[in-house]
Amino acid sequence: MSEIKLVFSNYKYVALSLAIFVGLLFPLLLISEYIFLEPYFIAHVYSGTELGLALIVIMVGLAGLVLPMNIYRIKMLQTSKKKMSGGVLGSMIGSAAGACGCGPVGFTVFSTFGSLGATASAFLTNYEIPIRITAIAILALTLYTTSKSIQKECHINLKNQNE
Amino acid sequence: MIKYLISNDVDMGKKRTKNTSRKTNKKGKTNFKFPVIIAIVAVSSIAFLAMSFTDDSSIDTSKQYGTVDTSLGSPILGSPDAPVTIIEFGDYQCPHCKKWFFDTKPIIVENLIDTGKVNLQFLDIALLGKDSVSASAATYCAEDQEKYWEYHSTLYSNQLGVDNGWANTANLKKYASDLGLDVDLFANCLDSGNYLPRVLKNTDVSRNVGFSGVTAFMIIGPNNQQDLIIGAQPYEVFKDVIEPML
Repeated sequence: MSEIKLVFSNYKYVALSLAIFVGLLFPLLLISEYIFLEPYFIAHVYSGTELGLALIVIMVGLAGLVLPMNIYRIKMLQTSKKKMSGGVLGSMIGSAAGACGCGPVGFTVFSTFGSLGATASAFLTNYEIPIRITAIAILALTLYTTSKSIQKECHINLKNQNE
Repeated sequence: MIKYLISNDVDMGKKRTKNTSRKTNKKGKTNFKFPVIIAIVAVSSIAFLAMSFTDDSSIDTSKQYGTVDTSLGSPILGSPDAPVTIIEFGDYQCPHCKKWFFDTKPIIVENLIDTGKVNLQFLDIALLGKDSVSASAATYCAEDQEKYWEYHSTLYSNQLGVDNGWANTANLKKYASDLGLDVDLFANCLDSGNYLPRVLKNTDVSRNVGFSGVTAFMIIGPNNQQDLIIGAQPYEVFKDVIEPML
């Protein structure tokens, strides 16, 4: 928790986190048909789709935490970029889960990727919820390891400063 | 296409008659058997084609809404004289279409279709998987037994995903049996693949409308004005689009 406070005490990281949150949430809600832009902007949650919405919000929230923390770790503490990949991977997997063929990107997916796109779309549609849960698990694990890493590296840095 | 087939048949009949006549002349005998048989076959073919064309009462070849040809689409749900028409473009394997079917469509039926203000026609976009095509074809086999909309509802009620078996041929036949259709007739129709061209044609028509996703609706007003609703949107949106047209 103190690592999160440490990272987000810098407003640049708060802004980055918000940008990631909104930048991921908006297209995901659009693709999953929780919001519509035409004929006018409207948000609508069908009964039975609340879990899907909650998973999207949790996933995007975690991505908004994990990615800036990793950027902080790499930039401020000059550490390896290895752990960053967990956050990116988790965000990508979770985002792909919403790319159902019958959503607003369906025709684009089919015309661009052909039968491969159709197969991938079928898989992403059938396993939407488990894929999002997997993405959340990856992001949660990345958040944990990133926090530990920041805690450890900051402690070492403080030690070095004291010496 | 039908005209082409008919003229081809007649031409072939003429050619055969010609050849037969030549053979007969060589033999020096007048043989009427071949020309008569060919004439009977030709007339029967024409009659069969004409009957198969007129028998399918659900196909209204004159139906063209703006840029959309709905002649091979579903039967019309509601009054054919309703001032507004909703053309629903959908895939039986699409989860968003299912959501709309259960949450929005019943309110539209109750408030707009049953009151005679609106009618609805379904046009297949069988794109999501191979079972989408057979599911759509199955609805037309059900239509042969005047159970199109009942079968349409059964498919959405049983939808479980994309190409994961719920809409395989065996299950499609089971749904027909559950609905009390003549299963043998239905199975013959489905196995023959007679309606596959109809489904593919509808998919082509739907694709040409230019949607970005599968779930889409075109609202056509009394003066042929058109509005698009993309996605499985709630009733309020349909009401807001349709009411100014009435």
